[in-house]
Amino acid sequence: MVTKLSGPRATSKRSKGKNLRPVAHFTVPTWIFLFLTILIPFIYGIYISFLNINLASFLPASFIGFDNYLNVLRAPETWSTFQITLVITVFGLLVQIPLGIILALALHENLRGTKIFRSILITPMLLTPVAVGLTYRFMFDTDLGVLNWMLGLLNIEKVNWLGSQTSALFAIIIVDSWQSIPFVMLLVLAALTAISPSLYEAARVDGASSSQIFRNLTLPLITPTLLVITMIKIMDFLKLFDTLFILTRGGPGNATTTLGLWTYKTGFIFLELSRAAALGVIVAIISLPVYFLWRKASKGVR
Amino acid sequence: MKVRTTFSYLLLASASFLSLFPLFWTISTSIKDRVDTYTLPPKFFNFSPTFKNYHSLFSMDKFWEIYWNSILITFGSTLICLVLGSLAAYAFARKPKFRGRGPLEGLMIAVRALPGIVLLLPIYKLSSYFGLYDSKIALILIYAGFNLPFAIWLLMSFFEQIPIEIEESARVDGASNFRMFTKIILPIAAPGLVATGIFVSLLSWNEFLIPVIMAGENAKTLPVLVASFISNRTLDWGPMAAAATVALVPIVLLTVVIQRWLVAGLSSGAVKE
Repeated sequence: MVTKLSGPRATSKRSKGKNLRPVAHFTVPTWIFLFLTILIPFIYGIYISFLNINLASFLPASFIGFDNYLNVLRAPETWSTFQITLVITVFGLLVQIPLGIILALALHENLRGTKIFRSILITPMLLTPVAVGLTYRFMFDTDLGVLNWMLGLLNIEKVNWLGSQTSALFAIIIVDSWQSIPFVMLLVLAALTAISPSLYEAARVDGASSSQIFRNLTLPLITPTLLVITMIKIMDFLKLFDTLFILTRGGPGNATTTLGLWTYKTGFIFLELSRAAALGVIVAIISLPVYFLWRKASKGVR
Repeated sequence: MKVRTTFSYLLLASASFLSLFPLFWTISTSIKDRVDTYTLPPKFFNFSPTFKNYHSLFSMDKFWEIYWNSILITFGSTLICLVLGSLAAYAFARKPKFRGRGPLEGLMIAVRALPGIVLLLPIYKLSSYFGLYDSKIALILIYAGFNLPFAIWLLMSFFEQIPIEIEESARVDGASNFRMFTKIILPIAAPGLVATGIFVSLLSWNEFLIPVIMAGENAKTLPVLVASFISNRTLDWGPMAAAATVALVPIVLLTVVIQRWLVAGLSSGAVKE
């Protein structure tokens, strides 16, 4: 034992450097895996966006340059679905961020039962979106829905929720908010918890009112988190699919079709795979700025 | 101060009610008779429960096969995420800088940032070319690819909590990196592995876009089955609610078990605890 101790100790400095290095190799399997499942498909997707693959046709695909891009950019649907995505994103954020902050503030007071409330409030974000969509579809039903029944109690006429653009968008934002507010709430709560209590003490000693404290102390301190949330949410709205698919399928007509759903429809309903791939590349380009901002912001938060 | 407390309680209570009501409503619809479902005013408690809807759901052609598919694909993809993810997360946690870290992190964020459809169009084309359409193994691999970044971020936060001194003493004893990782690090990080496993399972269990594109009759999963109810002409809410309940209940049970790690897990990748 004793002889061994002196031996390795002499080499331990050397082996430490040597030992630490191979740890980087632990990422190799992940590299290979993501290369196969993500990177190759992505590059292949760019490639097929320059072909004219139609899933219904048996003709061999040929190279057609930027035609798909030109067609996609000329098509009115591209712009209208982009607008709808934008509307859902903006109004969704306007609903979800303030409500998330308010709930986080209420939880942050550490009242009795906070833990139970937190567990309950988190539940919606964990549930299967498809099943959630189904549930809401039932609740939004014109004749049998609980929602119209409740409105009826207030003497408000029945609304065909999913039947017109405005009310359907409203319904979609409600369902998405129901599942997303907990996420905003959790992140804001984490940011609130990180604020040192002594700052509040000092503010109170100086005689600041609650609303002053929120505006001048809390809000500036949670702003970085709010930016991160906004970015993640923008990405999520761009991805929005499951609940949308169940609630309206983008209808009536294309009135609630987002850019992501439109890409799906182009590829798998109209079977224009190459054109859909071009749309996909455009969607990827749209999410690019958010991607870089996120990289930067997540480094900052860390 | 009193007013504020009352207000907070009121807010939390009403938000809790709104959070739970749809869940309650699905479950209660699933145990109602047709007559009780299709009636106004809605029956909240005054009905006699029946398991008819479950009976017709369970006797559906292929229901159990689909349920099993969901379990198998969830389990398989979670396993891959844990094995590859723990290796990568350990490297990330222990070496702040190494060649290839930046690009790998970029790739991970890209997976999270890109709408799935962008990747699934080419994946669909590629896999039908290689005869992998409607294959459970292909689904397992794709699910794993999409969820791996999440697993790495989450595991990383657990590995970082392990004091480095533990490793140093093992190094003096001459343990190799891999040996140390499997014999010392993984056992300590076991709770983290469990938590990550459960989170990745949740994501896989809920996944809809991948199977709706990549699965036909052979590899169909539960969310696809649940969604298929909506495309029927006649909307039969009872069995539909039963199908939704069957998808939701395992999640609710799991979340009770993982309360402790819930917050860390849900915010992973966005903030650090």
